[in-house]
Amino acid sequence: MTDAESPTAHPSSTPVSLAEVGQYSCGLTLVFVLASTCWVLLPYTGDLFVALVFLMAIVLAGTWWNRGPVLMMAVVSALVWNYFFIPPQFTLHIDKPQDMVMFSLFFIVALSMGHLITRLRAREATLAQHHQERENLLELKHRAELLAESERLHRTLLDSVAHELKTPIAIIRTALDGLGQGNPYAHEIETANRRLQRIVESFLEMSRVESEVLEPQPDWCEIGDVVHAATKPIQQELAAYTLRIAGATELPLLRLDLRLLAQVLGNLLHNATRYAPAGTEIQIQASLFDGSLELRVRDHGPGLPLGAEEQLFEKFYRAPDSPAGGTGLGLAIARGLMRAMKGDIEAHTHPEGGAEFVLHLPVKTRSAA
Amino acid sequence: MSKALIIDDEQQMRRLLCMVLESRGYEVCEAADGQLGLQEAAFHRPDVVLLDLGLPGMNGIEVLKRLREWSDVPVLILSVRDQEAIKVEALENGADDYVTKPFGTAELLARLTVIQRRRFTRQSAEIVVGALKLDLLHHEALLDDAPIKLTPTEFALLKVLAEYAGRIVTQNQIIKQVWAGQTSDPSEGLRVHINHLRKKLGETGPRIVNEPGIGYRLEEA
Repeated sequence: MTDAESPTAHPSSTPVSLAEVGQYSCGLTLVFVLASTCWVLLPYTGDLFVALVFLMAIVLAGTWWNRGPVLMMAVVSALVWNYFFIPPQFTLHIDKPQDMVMFSLFFIVALSMGHLITRLRAREATLAQHHQERENLLELKHRAELLAESERLHRTLLDSVAHELKTPIAIIRTALDGLGQGNPYAHEIETANRRLQRIVESFLEMSRVESEVLEPQPDWCEIGDVVHAATKPIQQELAAYTLRIAGATELPLLRLDLRLLAQVLGNLLHNATRYAPAGTEIQIQASLFDGSLELRVRDHGPGLPLGAEEQLFEKFYRAPDSPAGGTGLGLAIARGLMRAMKGDIEAHTHPEGGAEFVLHLPVKTRSAA
Repeated sequence: MSKALIIDDEQQMRRLLCMVLESRGYEVCEAADGQLGLQEAAFHRPDVVLLDLGLPGMNGIEVLKRLREWSDVPVLILSVRDQEAIKVEALENGADDYVTKPFGTAELLARLTVIQRRRFTRQSAEIVVGALKLDLLHHEALLDDAPIKLTPTEFALLKVLAEYAGRIVTQNQIIKQVWAGQTSDPSEGLRVHINHLRKKLGETGPRIVNEPGIGYRLEEA
């Protein structure tokens, strides 16, 4: 059956379609063909047989066609039967009372048959549709469950890998502290260990950003707390630079995910310490522009390679003649995190030299005053 | 001499912590899992417990809950980064503070010292944190002996932070003690009051340090 395609569900509400026009003409043709055949057979069969043939045609038509054409067939075949077959022939007038009753019954049966069958079909179509919808829903649910399961697995795996990688680093750190400060070899090991820690954390963070298990948890905070959280883990690297923060104290309370934004800012600051010469200034400028927080981080290094302002944010991109070390992940993570928070990050070389990164983040604000 | 109990499944970590603590005059006992840790705690009655959260079998939180059923020994949590929710859970189940691996020994020892200073053994109506002095009797706050004007909420907030001076206080702990569930968005109110307090404490007073996702710590300037 062709239920699914035919617009049977609401035939009355839709305008007559091309398919329906076809059904009307087919209906008329069918009545004509049947009537002619029966006309030839009339001497052997009698006029009641003709009525049954018409009824059968209506029932069959009802299983395929819309209500309109079927009802039209019922009416036309009733008239044709009356005109051509019920004596006296070639007139709509009926002589005998039993023929009159027969005609009325035929008319009623034909109409109700057509009506009932098309209604049945409409109901069937709705049922099929509901069934399909349910299937779709189940499918969706199944998919969501699978996704949740894979997310859970991913998280577990990430946690255990993180634990395995971080534990030795933590042990080295504690052991180095035990060795004491003076030893130059210990100092080198410590530097390498910190670098290793950064790499491990970058890979884990990148994996988290890419798997989209990252869900920002915004809460009210001061931008000063963001800067504090960003600078604390890289105090040693920042020690050789002058950090100047502008605009942070004038800002109201902002609703954002402090940890994610601090991670972004920390990556940018760490980046600056890798490229800008020691002793220079790194500036952070915070401001609000219609519902959006803007953070600018500027260093006084060599600036960005020409034309690479977008490439920078690609995974594993390393600027030509950039210093050894570094994973090429810091900026990719920064962009991933910003986008997870519905913000973005861009970069350019400042007109007066040095690289400048601009963070945009839509935030809710509340005046702290 | 203080007795310390280390509960950590990493043998190397235990050995190292052992060395560090012994060099500072602690007497140290250790346990490789939670069950053993609880037995050791009952047997040796330590003065401070260092508890790793990522234990196999019975996890750190469970160990902490069981321990708290009969002991109020100070507990320092050892954890890795990105476990903020678990850290908060541990702190709200009776842990006193935490350090995040990898940690420096100076940080570790400082935390141990602070949490071993007995909690709530306040004998006088005064709390002193660096240049800040809180007079609980007269509800007055003095900074470098000059009174500072605080609203009642700010005073209550500063009192909680000062009682725990040097130790972390979770956001929920603060809200419970200061607001007792009165406001609709306590987190927002808390941030606003912290902001005001920071301005009033200025450069000379103790600093209110935010620990993302966990809470606040009042540190001497």
